[in-house]
Amino acid sequence: MAAAPIRLRLFASLREEAGWEQQDWPWPDQNQPPTPEQIWRSLGLTASLDDLRIAVNFEFAGRQQPLQPGDELAFLSPISGG
Amino acid sequence: MGPVISVQVLLSPEPFDPYSLLAIWSADHPAAAESHFIGRVRPVTGANQQLDALELEHYPGMAERQLQQLATTQAQHHGVKAVLVQHRVGLITPKAAIVLVAVAADRRGPAQRCCQALLEALKHDAPFWKREWSAGVGTWVQGNTPLGDGG
Repeated sequence: MAAAPIRLRLFASLREEAGWEQQDWPWPDQNQPPTPEQIWRSLGLTASLDDLRIAVNFEFAGRQQPLQPGDELAFLSPISGG
Repeated sequence: MGPVISVQVLLSPEPFDPYSLLAIWSADHPAAAESHFIGRVRPVTGANQQLDALELEHYPGMAERQLQQLATTQAQHHGVKAVLVQHRVGLITPKAAIVLVAVAADRRGPAQRCCQALLEALKHDAPFWKREWSAGVGTWVQGNTPLGDGG
Protein backbone atom coordinates (compact mmCIF):
# COMPACT_ATOMS: atom_id res chain seq x y z
CA MET A 1 0.00 0.00 0.00
CA ALA A 2 1.36 3.45 -0.91
CA ALA A 3 2.36 5.77 1.92
CA ALA A 4 -0.15 8.51 2.71
CA PRO A 5 0.55 11.82 0.95
CA ILE A 6 1.54 15.00 2.76
CA ARG A 7 -1.29 17.52 3.03
CA LEU A 8 -0.04 21.00 2.08
CA ARG A 9 -1.81 24.14 3.36
CA LEU A 10 -1.43 27.80 2.42
CA PHE A 11 -3.14 30.85 3.88
CA ALA A 12 -3.73 34.53 3.21
CA SER A 13 -1.37 36.16 0.69
CA LEU A 14 0.52 32.93 0.02
CA ARG A 15 -2.72 31.14 -0.88
CA GLU A 16 -3.70 33.89 -3.28
CA GLU A 17 -0.28 33.97 -4.91
CA ALA A 18 -0.31 30.20 -5.40
CA GLY A 19 -3.95 29.99 -6.47
CA TRP A 20 -4.63 26.99 -4.22
CA GLU A 21 -5.43 26.46 -0.56
CA GLN A 22 -4.47 22.85 -0.05
CA GLN A 23 -3.17 19.93 -2.02
CA ASP A 24 -1.77 16.47 -1.42
CA TRP A 25 1.92 15.96 -2.15
CA PRO A 26 2.57 12.30 -3.01
CA TRP A 27 4.99 10.54 -0.71
CA PRO A 28 8.21 10.38 -2.70
CA ASP A 29 10.09 7.28 -3.75
CA GLN A 30 13.39 8.16 -2.04
CA ASN A 31 15.50 6.85 0.82
CA GLN A 32 15.39 9.95 3.02
CA PRO A 33 12.08 11.45 4.20
CA PRO A 34 11.30 14.78 2.52
CA THR A 35 11.72 18.06 4.38
CA PRO A 36 9.62 21.25 4.28
CA GLU A 37 12.45 23.00 2.43
CA GLN A 38 12.55 20.34 -0.26
CA ILE A 39 8.80 20.55 -0.77
CA TRP A 40 8.78 24.36 -0.76
CA ARG A 41 11.40 24.39 -3.55
CA SER A 42 9.30 22.00 -5.60
CA LEU A 43 6.27 24.31 -5.46
CA GLY A 44 7.89 27.05 -7.53
CA LEU A 45 6.41 29.95 -5.56
CA THR A 46 8.21 33.28 -5.49
CA ALA A 47 8.27 33.93 -1.73
CA SER A 48 11.52 33.21 0.07
CA LEU A 49 11.37 30.53 2.71
CA ASP A 50 13.47 32.89 4.86
CA ASP A 51 10.38 35.11 5.15
CA LEU A 52 7.98 32.31 6.05
CA ARG A 53 7.30 30.08 9.01
CA ILE A 54 6.57 26.40 8.81
CA ALA A 55 4.05 24.29 10.73
CA VAL A 56 3.87 20.51 10.77
CA ASN A 57 0.72 19.00 12.26
CA PHE A 58 -0.27 22.38 13.76
CA GLU A 59 3.08 22.99 15.49
CA PHE A 60 5.89 25.29 14.38
CA ALA A 61 8.71 23.32 12.79
CA GLY A 62 12.09 23.80 11.15
CA ARG A 63 12.73 23.70 7.43
CA GLN A 64 14.80 20.53 7.76
CA GLN A 65 12.37 18.56 9.92
CA PRO A 66 11.96 15.06 8.45
CA LEU A 67 8.34 14.59 7.43
CA GLN A 68 6.20 11.53 7.94
CA PRO A 69 3.51 10.08 5.68
CA GLY A 70 0.19 11.78 6.33
CA ASP A 71 1.72 14.93 7.89
CA GLU A 72 -0.01 18.27 7.41
CA LEU A 73 2.55 20.86 6.29
CA ALA A 74 1.69 24.56 6.24
CA PHE A 75 3.76 27.47 4.99
CA LEU A 76 2.85 30.65 6.88
CA SER A 77 3.42 34.21 5.72
CA PRO A 78 4.28 36.79 8.43
CA ILE A 79 1.69 36.63 11.19
CA SER A 80 -0.43 39.69 12.00
CA GLY A 81 -2.85 38.80 14.78
CA GLY A 82 -4.05 40.56 17.90
CA MET B 1 2.57 19.73 40.49
CA GLY B 2 1.92 23.51 40.54
CA PRO B 3 -1.31 25.28 41.36
CA VAL B 4 -4.24 24.83 39.00
CA ILE B 5 -4.43 27.70 36.51
CA SER B 6 -7.62 28.49 34.64
CA VAL B 7 -6.90 29.13 30.95
CA GLN B 8 -9.87 30.06 28.78
CA VAL B 9 -9.34 30.62 25.05
CA LEU B 10 -12.09 31.36 22.56
CA LEU B 11 -12.16 32.26 18.86
CA SER B 12 -15.25 34.18 17.85
CA PRO B 13 -16.65 34.71 14.33
CA GLU B 14 -19.32 36.92 15.93
CA PRO B 15 -18.83 40.33 17.55
CA PHE B 16 -18.30 40.25 21.30
CA ASP B 17 -18.68 42.80 24.08
CA PRO B 18 -15.46 42.67 26.10
CA TYR B 19 -17.01 44.27 29.17
CA SER B 20 -19.80 41.70 29.38
CA LEU B 21 -17.25 38.91 29.05
CA LEU B 22 -15.04 40.50 31.69
CA ALA B 23 -17.91 40.84 34.14
CA ILE B 24 -18.67 37.13 33.92
CA TRP B 25 -15.03 36.02 33.89
CA SER B 26 -14.07 38.28 36.79
CA ALA B 27 -16.94 36.99 38.92
CA ASP B 28 -15.82 33.42 38.20
CA HIS B 29 -12.13 34.16 38.97
CA PRO B 30 -11.97 36.49 41.97
CA ALA B 31 -8.47 37.84 42.54
CA ALA B 32 -6.72 40.77 44.17
CA ALA B 33 -5.27 41.97 40.86
CA GLU B 34 -6.59 41.94 37.32
CA SER B 35 -5.02 43.25 34.12
CA HIS B 36 -7.02 43.63 30.90
CA PHE B 37 -6.22 44.53 27.31
CA ILE B 38 -8.83 45.23 24.63
CA GLY B 39 -7.68 45.65 21.04
CA ARG B 40 -10.04 47.34 18.56
CA VAL B 41 -10.06 47.89 14.81
CA ARG B 42 -8.67 51.25 13.77
CA PRO B 43 -10.87 53.38 11.46
CA VAL B 44 -7.98 53.90 9.01
CA THR B 45 -5.62 51.60 7.13
CA GLY B 46 -1.86 51.49 7.50
CA ALA B 47 -1.75 53.80 4.45
CA ASN B 48 -4.06 56.25 6.28
CA GLN B 49 -7.10 55.53 4.10
CA GLN B 50 -10.59 55.06 5.50
CA LEU B 51 -11.02 51.45 6.55
CA ASP B 52 -14.28 49.73 5.60
CA ALA B 53 -13.52 46.47 7.40
CA LEU B 54 -10.69 44.34 8.70
CA GLU B 55 -10.65 40.69 7.67
CA LEU B 56 -8.95 38.30 10.06
CA GLU B 57 -8.01 34.91 8.67
CA HIS B 58 -6.72 32.11 10.88
CA TYR B 59 -5.36 28.59 10.59
CA PRO B 60 -8.18 26.49 12.09
CA GLY B 61 -6.85 23.95 14.54
CA MET B 62 -3.44 25.57 14.92
CA ALA B 63 -4.66 29.02 16.02
CA GLU B 64 -6.69 27.59 18.92
CA ARG B 65 -3.85 25.27 19.91
CA GLN B 66 -1.25 28.04 19.81
CA LEU B 67 -3.39 30.43 21.86
CA GLN B 68 -3.92 27.74 24.47
CA GLN B 69 -0.20 26.92 24.60
CA LEU B 70 0.90 30.56 24.72
CA ALA B 71 -1.61 31.41 27.45
CA THR B 72 -0.63 28.38 29.53
CA THR B 73 3.08 29.06 29.14
CA GLN B 74 2.78 32.72 30.14
CA ALA B 75 0.41 31.95 33.00
CA GLN B 76 2.85 29.42 34.45
CA HIS B 77 5.86 31.66 33.87
CA HIS B 78 4.29 34.63 35.67
CA GLY B 79 2.55 32.58 38.34
CA VAL B 80 -0.94 33.95 37.77
CA LYS B 81 -4.28 32.37 38.66
CA ALA B 82 -6.38 32.74 35.53
CA VAL B 83 -6.14 33.87 31.91
CA LEU B 84 -8.83 34.71 29.38
CA VAL B 85 -8.20 35.22 25.66
CA GLN B 86 -11.03 36.04 23.28
CA HIS B 87 -10.05 36.63 19.63
CA ARG B 88 -12.24 37.59 16.69
CA VAL B 89 -11.95 36.00 13.25
CA GLY B 90 -13.65 36.91 9.99
CA LEU B 91 -14.81 40.34 8.85
CA ILE B 92 -14.67 43.00 11.57
CA THR B 93 -15.98 46.56 11.43
CA PRO B 94 -13.99 49.61 12.60
CA LYS B 95 -13.95 50.14 16.37
CA ALA B 96 -15.14 46.59 17.09
CA ALA B 97 -13.07 44.51 19.50
CA ILE B 98 -10.52 42.15 17.92
CA VAL B 99 -8.91 40.74 21.02
CA LEU B 100 -9.43 40.64 24.75
CA VAL B 101 -6.71 39.44 27.12
CA ALA B 102 -7.44 39.30 30.83
CA VAL B 103 -5.24 38.05 33.65
CA ALA B 104 -6.07 37.47 37.31
CA ALA B 105 -3.31 37.22 39.90
CA ASP B 106 -2.48 37.86 43.54
CA ARG B 107 -0.39 40.96 42.72
CA ARG B 108 -0.40 43.72 40.07
CA GLY B 109 3.12 42.92 38.86
CA PRO B 110 2.45 39.38 37.64
CA ALA B 111 -0.97 40.40 36.31
CA GLN B 112 0.39 43.28 34.21
CA ARG B 113 3.52 41.50 33.03
CA CYS B 114 1.61 38.38 32.03
CA CYS B 115 -1.00 40.40 30.15
CA GLN B 116 1.62 42.26 28.11
CA ALA B 117 3.77 39.21 27.46
CA LEU B 118 0.80 37.13 26.36
CA LEU B 119 -0.45 39.86 24.04
CA GLU B 120 2.97 40.14 22.39
CA ALA B 121 3.22 36.36 22.11
CA LEU B 122 -0.13 35.96 20.43
CA LYS B 123 0.55 38.83 18.03
CA HIS B 124 3.70 37.11 16.80
CA ASP B 125 3.18 33.39 17.38
CA ALA B 126 -0.47 32.62 16.68
CA PRO B 127 -1.40 32.06 13.01
CA PHE B 128 -3.65 35.01 12.18
CA TRP B 129 -3.48 37.26 9.14
CA LYS B 130 -5.09 40.68 8.71
CA ARG B 131 -6.42 42.10 5.47
CA GLU B 132 -7.50 45.73 5.33
CA TRP B 133 -10.48 46.50 3.10
CA SER B 134 -10.73 50.04 1.77
CA ALA B 135 -12.73 51.29 -1.26
CA GLY B 136 -13.29 47.70 -2.38
CA VAL B 137 -9.62 46.76 -2.31
CA GLY B 138 -8.15 44.27 0.16
CA THR B 139 -4.53 44.57 1.28
CA TRP B 140 -2.77 41.97 3.41
CA VAL B 141 -0.96 43.37 6.42
CA GLN B 142 2.61 42.10 6.52
CA GLY B 143 3.44 41.31 10.14
CA ASN B 144 2.90 43.35 13.28
CA THR B 145 4.27 46.65 14.48
CA PRO B 146 6.90 45.98 17.15
CA LEU B 147 5.97 47.13 20.66
CA GLY B 148 7.53 50.53 21.33
CA ASP B 149 7.82 51.30 17.59
CA GLY B 150 4.35 52.73 17.23
CA GLY B 151 2.80 49.42 18.34
